[in-house]
Amino acid sequence: MIEVVQQIINGLTIGGVYALIALGLTTVFGILGISHFAHGSISMFGGYVAFTLVTGWGVPLPLAAAAAMAAGLVLGVAVERLAYRPVRDASPINAFIVALGLTMMAEGINLRLFGADQIVIPTGLQSVLRIGALTLPELRLYVIVASALLILAMTLFIQRSKTGYAIRALAQNRQAAILMGVDVSKITMLVFALSSALGSAAAIMVGALFAIAPGVGEGLAIKGFSVLILGGLGSIPGAIVGGLILGVTEALAAGFISSAYKDVIAFLVMIVVLLVRPEGLLGKAR
Amino acid sequence: MKRALAPLAILALFALAASAPQLITVKYYIQLIILAMIWAIMAHGQNIIQGMTGYVSITQAGLMGVGAYASTLLSIRWGLPVWASMAAAPVITALFSVLVGYPSLRVKGHYFAIVTLAYNMVIFTVLVNYSSLTKGEAGISNIRRPEPIGGMLNFDDRTTYYYLVLITLAAMTALTALLMRSPVGRILRGVRQNEALASAYGVAVWKYKLFAFVMSAFYAGVAGALYAHYIGFINPETFGVAQSLDAILAVILGGSGTIFGPVLGAFAVVLLPEYLRIADSFRLIVYGLLLVVATIFMPKGALHALSLIWGFAARRLGGGKGTTR
Repeated sequence: MIEVVQQIINGLTIGGVYALIALGLTTVFGILGISHFAHGSISMFGGYVAFTLVTGWGVPLPLAAAAAMAAGLVLGVAVERLAYRPVRDASPINAFIVALGLTMMAEGINLRLFGADQIVIPTGLQSVLRIGALTLPELRLYVIVASALLILAMTLFIQRSKTGYAIRALAQNRQAAILMGVDVSKITMLVFALSSALGSAAAIMVGALFAIAPGVGEGLAIKGFSVLILGGLGSIPGAIVGGLILGVTEALAAGFISSAYKDVIAFLVMIVVLLVRPEGLLGKAR
Repeated sequence: MKRALAPLAILALFALAASAPQLITVKYYIQLIILAMIWAIMAHGQNIIQGMTGYVSITQAGLMGVGAYASTLLSIRWGLPVWASMAAAPVITALFSVLVGYPSLRVKGHYFAIVTLAYNMVIFTVLVNYSSLTKGEAGISNIRRPEPIGGMLNFDDRTTYYYLVLITLAAMTALTALLMRSPVGRILRGVRQNEALASAYGVAVWKYKLFAFVMSAFYAGVAGALYAHYIGFINPETFGVAQSLDAILAVILGGSGTIFGPVLGAFAVVLLPEYLRIADSFRLIVYGLLLVVATIFMPKGALHALSLIWGFAARRLGGGKGTTR
């Protein structure tokens, strides 16, 4: 029993990271109807930036994280302006192919700039909390808290702020929102900027918990989309719940079945959900 | 004018391809052309689901892996004749793809792409980890070439194998052309253009989508078997997501939904990196850039762009008489 609780805590840690990635993907999907597959690889750039700042320049981690998230903001705007906007009016398939191209480019650029070796972001958080038989590394605790805060901030922003209203209005009814004076170009840029900043944060967490290496970003993007399919496309609660479910499923599968096949099991869960509820757990039937 | 010339052009192209082993003396080039032709078969399959039906699948290389491992294991582990295993592999791949396609096709558009991509990762993970069967990352070596026929055709000879691949490619191209012109092909294009309308006309859309997906897997199986028995060695590395992206690239670069576009695209995908001789990370950047730029500036593929240029030139040279389109 204690083992189950332990694995669930592990699952929530990685689930929070998945939710951060999925949150970015789901808002982009909601507004533009495109699957921004390059999200993972571009996010990893933020992770590499934080690593370089911490290890190369001796910048404290919180500052480095802020800088990496700022880099994410800029990168998000650039990607939207240069790559996605030219294909905005073409068929969605074209945007997806652009996304694949961007993924290759981002992976290639990361490889050239930061090398092929895997890196771990040093945090200095070594101590382990013990509650009864449960062990809770300090680092995991911080990651859970940080991802919860970021998820909360993003959700509040989208649900409560005026800009958030505009984002949701665009997702709900594009034409009506435009008629009401919502500036599509500005909102789209903002959504890409915020998504990429959240992505950078997620990449730093991955880099601190596990490691960053070529291909990790692609894997994360695939997980992010699995979360979207689980939770429902374009749904914000779906992204959060789906992320946590995927994380916990994976941790339980790794702990009790086989760690080599944990991804396979996570995908199988996604496929089963797809068979039963094609619109996702919290998605609306279309 | 163009219509009358088309069969002649195809014949000339085939004659050129058939005489290539006599014209080209460098063995390495022959090797590259064989690989490019195998990739062309795979790209043909990708074209059926992506170009004709409008569903971008990212598991073509994974399916090719299923075909390659099926043929290899049948011939090595169960001692079947190579010809029999090569014939069985595409069928096994097609059957396997029903398992992949049925749940994947429940989501639309690019989300289908993500689910198929997940399948590619599943296939890859299983190939790496199920090492009692697949020998894991080390791979399987000493895969035999097909048995000689009548003492004349010895497939250990590179040139003979070249002709086997060429004839298979020609047959698969003809099959694609037949499919494209058949009523089924018309329905698949209808699904691409307006799935809701096709379904409103009473078409059981999911059956046709599944058919397109299974066909694409069949092609991948053929390509996988040809590849395994040519190279003589397979490991999971060849059948990852990156190679599936190459198949997509081939279709996009050549021209989605056309008959010869994927062949052209496959040659580009195989030959360009060899020609450019660039480091792998640069290759990624250049490829990615190419993909983005090609999608933005020639959304209908290279073949279409070429035909536009050709049409323009013909109008100019023919004094405004020639109408090419």
